[in-house]
Amino acid sequence: MTVDWKLFADLAEHAGDRHVTLDDPGETVGDALETLLADRPALADRVLEEDGTLRSQINVLRNGTDVEQSAGLETGLEDGDELALFPPVSGG
Amino acid sequence: MTDLRLDATQLERYSRHVIMDEVGPEGQRRLLEGSVLVVGAGGLGSPVIQYLAAAGVGRLGIVDDDVVERSNLQRQIVHGDDDVGRPKVESAADYVRALNPDVDVRAHETRVTSETIDDLVGGTDGERTDGYDVVVDASDNFATRYLCNDYCTLSGIALSHGAIYRFEGQVTTFPNDGDGPCYRCIFPEAPEPGTVPDCATTGVLGVLPGTVGCIQATEVVKYLLGAGELLEGRLLMYDAMGLSFETVDVRRNPDCPVCGDDPEIESIHDVGYEGSCTVSSD
Repeated sequence: MTVDWKLFADLAEHAGDRHVTLDDPGETVGDALETLLADRPALADRVLEEDGTLRSQINVLRNGTDVEQSAGLETGLEDGDELALFPPVSGG
Repeated sequence: MTDLRLDATQLERYSRHVIMDEVGPEGQRRLLEGSVLVVGAGGLGSPVIQYLAAAGVGRLGIVDDDVVERSNLQRQIVHGDDDVGRPKVESAADYVRALNPDVDVRAHETRVTSETIDDLVGGTDGERTDGYDVVVDASDNFATRYLCNDYCTLSGIALSHGAIYRFEGQVTTFPNDGDGPCYRCIFPEAPEPGTVPDCATTGVLGVLPGTVGCIQATEVVKYLLGAGELLEGRLLMYDAMGLSFETVDVRRNPDCPVCGDDPEIESIHDVGYEGSCTVSSD
């Protein structure tokens, strides 16, 4: 199973890439997030609180829908899912 | 109430609006009766001010406490080279006066704070006795953005949100005519100051705020006309590099600190806006 992560705004810079494909993402969105962050410590610092939970202003999408509208990080994955992380931006 | 029939000059000026069924003379009168406060006369504010003035929005307030710098001119197209060093609100107001004498432009050279926002938006400031129909958040910092959101949500005033980062933009509309959602339903609190770099640090593609600001102006015009489908319950994310748009559904969050079921924030005075825009401990 593969899933794609798309990273918005400064999260792409912290990740070093705007798109990341995971070949073995696990069962849930949370698993895929853990896999994404495992070898990207700068991104992990940016999106996680000190206790390891996701910062409240970081949104996670699965196929264009906020996972909070389903089972949050427990939402199950399917092959080909498009996941996204987006933060607020403030420039004007 | 003023006589709102269109005169001959107005019929000519707005003829391309008036000829369309979706606008017509009645829609144009709504624009001329409309009042909009633009918070920020920078990259986003420039096209918003220009198109709303051209459209004949009757009263246009502009708030900003900055002066024009040469490094602004790559994207803040309401200002010109001769305006460097002038207050942005004066430069922008001059542009509006030169473009359309129908517009009553009000320049407020101040910062939007929890002390000033009620006077600015609610209309208790100086000579004005009536408030604004719509607030356009074209600001450049989270403190102002969360303050505009909280004030407009709590006061039931429509808010257009636009924000940019290097090559990307986010834009949505909160009519605030019901139970939400609001900006905090998407982003409950601001990132810690310093977490997200600003335009001066990261740079910004000059035309980017043009695209995003034009979408905000489009939304305001539709809101005043009462026509079309607003970006209500939808956050539009624009990527200039991929020239792609994505739309994310935005729903009211029952845990939202402003418009949720048990809101922590019942007044803007509950919040410390200089940090992460959360409820003050004192």
